[in-house]
Amino acid sequence: MWWLHIGCIFISLSTFTPYSLGVEIPEKFQKSNHTNNWAVLVDTSRFWFNYRHVANVLSIYRSVKRLGIPDSQIILMISDDMACNPRNPRPATIFNNAHEQINVYGDDVEVDYRGYEVSVENFIRLLTGRVPPDTPRSKQLLTDEGSNILIYLTGHGGDGFLKFQDSEEVTSQELADALEQMWQKRRYNEIFFIIDTCQASSMYEKFYSPNILATASSLVGEDSLSHHVDSAIGVYIIDRYTYYVLEFLENVHTNSQKTMTEFLAVCPKSACLSTVGVRRDLFKRDPSKVPITDFFGSVRPVVITTNTIDIMDIPKRKKTEIENRTKVLEKRKYLPQFPMHLVQGSTQ
Amino acid sequence: MSKHESKTEAEESNRMWASASFVGVLIIIGLPLWWKTTEVYRVALPYDKISSFDQLPRKVAVDLKILAYDDVTAADLEALIEKAFEDSDIIKPRIQKAVLSDELHHALEYVADELDAVEEINRAYNLTERNCFYLVQRRNLFQHVWLGEERVMFFRDSEASRLVVESLLRWVYQTSVLSGVRSETVDAARSTRLPPAAGYHVVLSVVHPTPDKLEVEFDAKEAVEDYIGTFVDELSYLHNFTLKSQWLYLLDFNFQAKEVKDINEDRGRHFSVRRDRLHLLLTSLEERAATHVAALPTINLALYIVPCHLSPLQIYYDDDKPVQATMQAFMSPKWGGVVFASPSAPDCGHQHPAFHPHTRLVMGTFLAQLRPLLGIPEVDYIPDAFLVPLRSVAARKWEVDSLVRLRTLEQITSAQRTLQSLAQLLGEISNIVITDEVGASINSAVESIQEASHLLAEGDIMNAYDTSKRAYLAAETAFMDPSLLALLYFPDDQKYAIYIPLFLPIMFPVVLSLKNLLLWFRGKPVHKDKIE
Repeated sequence: MWWLHIGCIFISLSTFTPYSLGVEIPEKFQKSNHTNNWAVLVDTSRFWFNYRHVANVLSIYRSVKRLGIPDSQIILMISDDMACNPRNPRPATIFNNAHEQINVYGDDVEVDYRGYEVSVENFIRLLTGRVPPDTPRSKQLLTDEGSNILIYLTGHGGDGFLKFQDSEEVTSQELADALEQMWQKRRYNEIFFIIDTCQASSMYEKFYSPNILATASSLVGEDSLSHHVDSAIGVYIIDRYTYYVLEFLENVHTNSQKTMTEFLAVCPKSACLSTVGVRRDLFKRDPSKVPITDFFGSVRPVVITTNTIDIMDIPKRKKTEIENRTKVLEKRKYLPQFPMHLVQGSTQ
Repeated sequence: MSKHESKTEAEESNRMWASASFVGVLIIIGLPLWWKTTEVYRVALPYDKISSFDQLPRKVAVDLKILAYDDVTAADLEALIEKAFEDSDIIKPRIQKAVLSDELHHALEYVADELDAVEEINRAYNLTERNCFYLVQRRNLFQHVWLGEERVMFFRDSEASRLVVESLLRWVYQTSVLSGVRSETVDAARSTRLPPAAGYHVVLSVVHPTPDKLEVEFDAKEAVEDYIGTFVDELSYLHNFTLKSQWLYLLDFNFQAKEVKDINEDRGRHFSVRRDRLHLLLTSLEERAATHVAALPTINLALYIVPCHLSPLQIYYDDDKPVQATMQAFMSPKWGGVVFASPSAPDCGHQHPAFHPHTRLVMGTFLAQLRPLLGIPEVDYIPDAFLVPLRSVAARKWEVDSLVRLRTLEQITSAQRTLQSLAQLLGEISNIVITDEVGASINSAVESIQEASHLLAEGDIMNAYDTSKRAYLAAETAFMDPSLLALLYFPDDQKYAIYIPLFLPIMFPVVLSLKNLLLWFRGKPVHKDKIE
């Protein structure tokens, strides 16, 4: 019964074991020829009990923004507004931890698609670029052949689908077709696809376009689990996979030497309780030689200008004078509301 | 008994006719109708034309006129140029050669200055004709080859022929940049210039982090109008430009600048900022400049007024060598450029510090950045060949010609690729709808591509540009049309889930009755046991 939604089972654990990874810096990174970075971050589920999905997506948003991707190149889709939910005891904040260490809502969150705008249609239109003609540029994925795109999806899913908004779902085939259309239109250089849902790896199994590295929080048949509950708000506060991802990303800086292999190993089974799936057959480079900033940071090429043009004559453009003045001969104005001019003499 | 039998027979035949009519309606009328009405709507597309784009003419014809002192020099040069362009996939020169008229010959001998010599040629020939380039011999030349702003190149004698060919390839026709348009891999010029568009916004932001401590006098509006405006006027045939300027105050950026002792500087020090820090400035600029809200692609130009406590600011390369340039500036491909203006010691020393940025230098730097962003690549140095340094705002005439050729090829190539991708996708993904409007766009794009290719082969670059622009826009519209996703909520792999509950309850008895119906039509008894 593949079209039935199977809700995930959420297990809360009050403790978690911190782990560490042996950091080894590869001698030479494989050079990437991307010229810009984009991020598409999607939270597909509504309602207060899905608080953790908003915390998930904002955790990633916080990280990519901190690592340098500007808001104009982040498409953030959040289907519910937890920060302003009346049930939120701490308005305008979203925490990813019961200890309230990091307010992932931050000071400036720019949500591009919100509420009921987060639909399968808008998501596929965004990816394929087939947006309605009056869509503002901030809601478009204006990538080109030199763009590295980070796609992060979170929500409730099942074998072969991801549920949007309790009412519809995107299937793995649709997603694979959308990515193929992006590839055919030369709209990306490389894609790093992350998905944190139940049976998450089913979403990338049908991909067939090149240059995609995909990772998922759980394999088919497994549930992705939440990390811990916050008794102050009464719901689970973040999912396990994203919790460890954020913990990892918090230690990454713009000049970090960490590689994608380290990222892919970020949540071992002992921590996640589900097996993190990775698909690397479509990806041409060796993940152990790809710096994490190729996808999470915004490494923009900078070219120093040394060939200033020494202009001889100061140019004067033939001005096209635009007369802004009105054609009223006599200018009229309002009198002040309180007739101060009448009492001016007495006050002096 | 017989009465009863005939009655059952009549009932039997009634029942059979009833089920036959069910079969007739459902299978003979219903199924084809259902098949027809649920077909993905697709207009017939010119697949054969799309797949035969490779057979269209690929070369751009250019006119080249050789004016030499004698026939032999001209013929030698012609042969050499023809040989050099023989293998070229892009440029096909149509060479006309002539001997200089006595009058022009004398005039060229007489005038001392090269610019005056160009003037003389302009008097005899029409230099304003686009896509037409003159190679003129001039004996009293200091260099082997001389190239200025006009569509004229001087060469000294037949010894310079090899240099002439090289200058033509690398400067005038920029064959490597042109072939980069068609290649699969992205070259430097392609990754720098903005993709073709109907128009661009050019926004100059004057960034002033310390308005309370330093007064800055700079007329941004006037500067944009005069300098950038004059420059883009030359290119207004290609794109629409919208010019804007704005001031951004209090934009705080941590350069992590280090104080370095500098004896050449009035204040005895400068501040060093590392090159790998600069891309972060772009991010914080972008946040405030908000230029991405515009409907058209934007070229950002930012004049960063360095605060007094960080002046003068000096960019250092990654190997700790300072950048030697009149203005400290950098650009980012496909984004724009940033120029740092550092106030001098006297500017900052006043009681009310005031600073007038040097408009001519600042705008000269911006123009140097704007040129590659708009597709005029930087010319490289060829030894013994002299290219007059650019001293004016406007681009050189032959550069504009080259830009027109570049953009035309780019738009044709992009449109071809878009249509080929679409054709391939239609084969791969079955539920893409092609409406009549999209079909019309595709057809018009195909026609425009063919027309533009032929116009290029004839050397009519301006009309070719217009046509290629139409092709490009039509192909983009076709690929990006929202109606292509009309069947988004009706994916193929879910059709069973929709149709089976709908048809199974009806089709089941109909299909089962088929056997009985066939038997009855053949005249065999349907229910043998009953008769016995």
